[in-house]
Amino acid sequence: MSNKVRKEKPTGKKIIALIVVFISVFCCVFFAARGKFNTTATNGAAMMLVAPFQRAFSWAGSQLTFIKDSVTEISHLHEQNKKLREEVELLRAQNLTASEYASENQRLRNLLGYKQAAVQFDLVAASVIGRESASWSSVIVINRGTIDGVANNMAVVTELGLVGHVMEAGVNSAKVQLLIDPRSSVGTLIQRPESRVAGIVEGDSKNPSHPKMVNIPKDSDVKVEDMVVTSGFGGVYPKGLVVGKIIDIHNEEGGLLQYGVIETSVDFQKLEDVAVIVASREAPPEPIQPPPQTPGTETDPHETAEKLQQAQQQILDAQQQVQDAQQQQLQEAGYVVEEGGQ
Amino acid sequence: MRIIGLWAMVLVLLYALQTSLLTFINFDGFSANLMLLLTVSVAFLRGHEKGAFFGFMAGLLQDATTGSYFGLATFSYMTIGLIFGKFSVNLFRDQSLLPVISSIPALVIHFAITIAFLFLLGWQIDLIRFLKFDFWPTAIMQVVLAYPVHRLVLSLNELSKRR
Repeated sequence: MSNKVRKEKPTGKKIIALIVVFISVFCCVFFAARGKFNTTATNGAAMMLVAPFQRAFSWAGSQLTFIKDSVTEISHLHEQNKKLREEVELLRAQNLTASEYASENQRLRNLLGYKQAAVQFDLVAASVIGRESASWSSVIVINRGTIDGVANNMAVVTELGLVGHVMEAGVNSAKVQLLIDPRSSVGTLIQRPESRVAGIVEGDSKNPSHPKMVNIPKDSDVKVEDMVVTSGFGGVYPKGLVVGKIIDIHNEEGGLLQYGVIETSVDFQKLEDVAVIVASREAPPEPIQPPPQTPGTETDPHETAEKLQQAQQQILDAQQQVQDAQQQQLQEAGYVVEEGGQ
Repeated sequence: MRIIGLWAMVLVLLYALQTSLLTFINFDGFSANLMLLLTVSVAFLRGHEKGAFFGFMAGLLQDATTGSYFGLATFSYMTIGLIFGKFSVNLFRDQSLLPVISSIPALVIHFAITIAFLFLLGWQIDLIRFLKFDFWPTAIMQVVLAYPVHRLVLSLNELSKRR
């Protein structure tokens, strides 16, 4: 390669040729634009010459674009995957919270259902906020205290049955001794009408999850699967609260008495929401039910009552019409002067 | 004869590249103009006569294949080959930076000629929009590709001289 400076001297012929070419091309543009100049054959030949190379380069270009798009998509997918993972984590957390709320909602609904059904009790709903559980002690702490009307020795229940009683009421919390506490004793009786045997349910330190119903005479009518309810004796627990059912019966060592092992109706391991009975009264009488009807002659009591009411109304209307007619006749005969008349 | 065939082959290959692969990299429909870069480089290295001739051939190829108005690119490249070839009289030919820098004024002249023709043919051109969205993206691509194209032309030129 040389770094010499070029020295060119254009000749007159070349300049003229250049000018001619320029003018020709200049004119070509205008002729071509107005459609007066057609180069179809030239164009076809040029296209044929360039087309194979264009095809090859276009193929390479499309491959490159494909690779670029794939890389972009992979990058996008990676980013999307990351975002989706974050979203999954968030949704899992939300799902957990929602499940917790659903569970709490179900428990509170059950408790509310019990509250509405047990009209003889004034209940204060409470949540379990603490728990002390050992073989010698079963105590929970609830978030209601004297400020909410809770006092010592009030019965604590769930919709499933008896939980225990308030052993120490604070201002805004209270300790509840559970039914399964070895120190606890509840006056109970067998719910079955033929039996009605009374006994005392005590916590068993040897078997904390299954309290015992003691002081049952050996010859009394107690069977496995008998339901045990509170007797109301002693004044702490209202009568009729479900304690559990007898699952086993054993003889006491002395030989005169026996005891029943009770499966409590309340699962004390899953205790979260309870209700404190702050006041109790006699249960209202059951609504009167219509007597059983002879098969084949059943009538709807509500329909009968409606028909009766309609018949009474018709009689009243007829009486009114008779009275009106009599009144009119008396007026026509002149025995009665119309109100406001001369 | 072989040398002429080699130059023609390079011209056709670069044109095919310009109209196929490079169209994948475009801004608002405008992509790099390799024919313009080729013409500028040839003009710098071979003088205004060869520059104008090469511009003529490159423009003719473009007009015959993808040109909208036959002769427009031919006129434009020929003019650019002539103008930039004139500069080569007083310049050192192996200055590789020169074609890179020249790619911008070459593009300006090319667009100016094209716009002038379009204006004469009755087109309305929005110059501000054109400068803002079309000129600068194309100019950047021209600057990027000017050096490799010039190196290619330089190699061909050396080969031509040896033969």
